[in-house]
Amino acid sequence: MNKKNLIQQLRLTFSDIQLNEHEDGIIKIHAKKEQVKRILSYLKDNMYNHLALISCVDWIKEKEFELIYILTSYLDDKELYQETGDIYLKIRIPRGDPEIETVISVFENAEPYEREIYELFGVKFSGHPRLIPLFLERDYEVSPFRKDFDTRKYVKDVFESIPVIPEEEE
Amino acid sequence: MDREQVIKALKDSGKWGHKYSLWAIYFGTGCGIIEIPPVITSRWDAERFGVIPVATPRQANLFLITGYVTLKTLRAIIRTYEQMREPKYTVGFGSCPINGGMYWDSYNTIKKLDKYIPIDGWIAGCMPRPEAIFIAVTHLWTMIDRGTADAYKKYRKQYKYYRKNQEMALGKLEWPPLYPINEDE
Repeated sequence: MNKKNLIQQLRLTFSDIQLNEHEDGIIKIHAKKEQVKRILSYLKDNMYNHLALISCVDWIKEKEFELIYILTSYLDDKELYQETGDIYLKIRIPRGDPEIETVISVFENAEPYEREIYELFGVKFSGHPRLIPLFLERDYEVSPFRKDFDTRKYVKDVFESIPVIPEEEE
Repeated sequence: MDREQVIKALKDSGKWGHKYSLWAIYFGTGCGIIEIPPVITSRWDAERFGVIPVATPRQANLFLITGYVTLKTLRAIIRTYEQMREPKYTVGFGSCPINGGMYWDSYNTIKKLDKYIPIDGWIAGCMPRPEAIFIAVTHLWTMIDRGTADAYKKYRKQYKYYRKNQEMALGKLEWPPLYPINEDE
């Protein structure tokens, strides 16, 4: 299957997705959150066999998070490989109670990405086997990568409130 | 070494030994560690000054903190520092351990390192040149000669304050206090 066929097939299989093809070869797919697993497993079977990254954007004015699944392909066929650009699968979820199903069953390497997004944005991934913080040591009331997290206030409250060590008494 | 220095060295041979055998723990924190490989290898050759990197904190007596300190690294730094044998000297390297540097409003890096462990001296700059390390080492020699490089003594005396600050930053620490803490005082 080449790229043109793939785009046609995608449009046929998933009727309610929005699919844009860019000049630099990148295909951007906007879809609903219920479809994420189906689209990813479909793409995995059709050339795009590597999940490069899961990223998250906080659109605070629109009250939405946007999850971006970046897919690339590792193919033996060089001509086909040249032809394929990356695929960005973009999914918007509401900011109030962000939850989406995990894609570990499709791409196993999604696990640390999902944990990272969970601790930095507070997006819950239902079905994730161990959704615990990955890097952070402290508990944060607001997840630190959200736009409404006030870093300066946090620094003032936490780090500047720690007292300086007193000099020794003579 | 001229004759005057021989007498001086014999008079206070402990200090003489400490001065010329500053063994630095190879502990990479932040971006400053990139300056350490040229310093210890043939280009700048830190062994001229008696500074060599060692693998474990038990062998080391110089601790270079080479860059920003996240909370996770702070935990490792405290544990490493407490395992080092006295006399031990710490040098903050770069502007981040001094006052936060470019991470002054970060949610996850501590701003002033001397609130958590004692520091003998600072090397300012972002990044400092390798020559700055040697200037710091020669300053440290002078301080050892005068007996003013005594941050580890301060750690022992003011330990309860340090421990309190460490617990404020990291929550409950999973290792016991290094020195006994008198609660009554």
